[in-house]
Amino acid sequence: MTRQKRSHHKLKRAVAPYLYLSPSLLIIGLLMLLPMVTVIAYSFQNSAVLRRDPSFAGLKHYQAIFDDPVFWASLWHTLYFTCMSVIFHMTIGMAFALMLNSDRINPTLRNILRVLYILPWLFTAVIIAVIWRLLLEPNGVVNSILMQIGIIGSKVEWFSSPQTALHAVTFANIWAGYPLFMVSLLAGLQGIPKDFYEAADIDGAKAYQKLIFITIPQLMPIIISISLLDFIWTMQVFPLIWITTGGGPIYSTEVLSTYTYKLAFSSYNLSQASASAVVILLISLGLTLFYIRYQKAR
Amino acid sequence: MAEVVLENICKTYGNNFHAIDQLNLSVEDGEFLILVGPSGCGKSTALRMIAGLEDVTSGSLRIGGVDVVDMPPKDRDIAMVFQSYALYPHMTVFENIGFSMRLAGKSKAERKKRVDEIAKTLQLTSLLDSKPANLSGGQRQRVAMGRAMVREPAAFLMDEPLSNLDAKLRVQMRAEITSLQKQLGVTTIYVTHDQTEAMTMGDRVAVLKGGVLQQVDTPKRLYESPVNAFVAGFIGSPSMNLFEATLTGDELMSGALAIRLQDAAFVRRPGLRSYAGRKVVFGIRPEDLYDSSLESGRKYQTIPAKVTSIEELGSEQIVHLNIDTVRVDSGDPDAVQDFGLASNAVAKFEPVSTVRSGSEIRLALDDTKLHFFDPETHLAI
Repeated sequence: MTRQKRSHHKLKRAVAPYLYLSPSLLIIGLLMLLPMVTVIAYSFQNSAVLRRDPSFAGLKHYQAIFDDPVFWASLWHTLYFTCMSVIFHMTIGMAFALMLNSDRINPTLRNILRVLYILPWLFTAVIIAVIWRLLLEPNGVVNSILMQIGIIGSKVEWFSSPQTALHAVTFANIWAGYPLFMVSLLAGLQGIPKDFYEAADIDGAKAYQKLIFITIPQLMPIIISISLLDFIWTMQVFPLIWITTGGGPIYSTEVLSTYTYKLAFSSYNLSQASASAVVILLISLGLTLFYIRYQKAR
Repeated sequence: MAEVVLENICKTYGNNFHAIDQLNLSVEDGEFLILVGPSGCGKSTALRMIAGLEDVTSGSLRIGGVDVVDMPPKDRDIAMVFQSYALYPHMTVFENIGFSMRLAGKSKAERKKRVDEIAKTLQLTSLLDSKPANLSGGQRQRVAMGRAMVREPAAFLMDEPLSNLDAKLRVQMRAEITSLQKQLGVTTIYVTHDQTEAMTMGDRVAVLKGGVLQQVDTPKRLYESPVNAFVAGFIGSPSMNLFEATLTGDELMSGALAIRLQDAAFVRRPGLRSYAGRKVVFGIRPEDLYDSSLESGRKYQTIPAKVTSIEELGSEQIVHLNIDTVRVDSGDPDAVQDFGLASNAVAKFEPVSTVRSGSEIRLALDDTKLHFFDPETHLAI
């Protein structure tokens, strides 16, 4: 092989992987990178989109949203909504997965429960919102049951009272999201060798010790991966809150996604909305980098 | 340390499958007993019942004189080494070995002292901070042993602990486990399907087939006096050659073969006379068959045979032969592998033998080493 031929072959080998990647890179660039860059640009412009020649605004819009108490309320609500959702998704998902993995439950019952427990996952956010609006309305089933068993004395307006609205929305989101954890953890549980538990039985481990020393450490990679993904996804939840409460009453369920939406499409302040969107992007990016680092470390 | 006694132990599964049928076995204090048999013979089930990981359907099971049938595994004072080793991948070697002590609420200082002692015995001291994934197969095996030893149990139960190792390491670990058992003097029940492990490691060997105990004896007696054709075929590698013949006078007639029996054969087995004129199964081990061209001095009887293939092992040759006679199946599913399609007998020849594949030879046999079995019951005569 001549020298020229050899270098040509080398070049072909070096370029080939990028050629294979190019279609997907092009699509990602057009559909994700371009809008992202545009939004970042908008956040530094005055009257973005609305004017043909917007002027440079510097950090003015960022200053404006950081001075807005509603932004801080939204950030707090987002954190509360997200943290509670992830914690309960994991706890409920783990409890149900352990139950479905147990030999003590009759196999037929186990199959029925498996279908029942996974049902919330089958519904879209809109359906979930409608279901919970119906269930939690003042004359709904939940109030009726709670009054009958004496937990509440009078009808509670779950979604309309500032004291309960955020908890009610969070509850609906917990209900909608635990199956992802349940299914992932169940798959993880089924992959733990039976020998580990038998060895622990011989060593004298009690049920809670087996959970702490074997099950949880074995599931840890799944728990961390799914929790991080759930955190990223839940932070961006929009339709469930928009349809149930619309961010109200009196901003009590305002989260970053509804806050940004309102800035953009109610106030038509697209520049500030872009600044808010960039803040969401930065938080998500931080979590994503953490997730990628964790995956690499594994 | 303790004696382990199984009396009329039965195990029946929900689908009415009898995994173990009336198993009676007594393992003495400090003894190394091997449970051996082909796949599905119930040996692992028996071990798991002793460990308490399987319920006993009926019968009595005593460890150190205490009836343990209804006791949970942790109260039986046993330790088990699993085939997979069951080492916790998220724990270090130190944590794996000291796990039972941690469960028992022992202080870290106590744990460290005991684990260090064991690590020293097993040459694991430098590996105490490693995770199992970073260990070789042999090291993992030793950690599994360490985890069993840390509890100072009355009995060790081992379920095919060497089956995941390569052949060379297996030989080394075989010797290590045997010497460790002698050093500790702990009653040990060891399950294997490998008859070489069974013969080389145990004080006594219990052979199981289809959930039924066939024979419990020392390796030497199992080899020399198997109680039936199955044990004869299972113990020894390659398996004993078993053929059908008719006893005519003092001659075994089988196909074109005629093997004359000496009086000593009838003296040793008085029952053999009653088979006169009837069919009988006779067996001869591959190591008792010789290349006649090398054995002219010993005056062995010779029979014609055709060499079908030869396996050169350096120290010996495994010669597959076709003899004009009817081979009898011992009932050992693994034994079938010893015979090719064209051959019905196997011999072990010295490396100096010059026989070639496809050649017709005279096969010398040591008729004092013949074994005889009833053709119906396969019991030894």
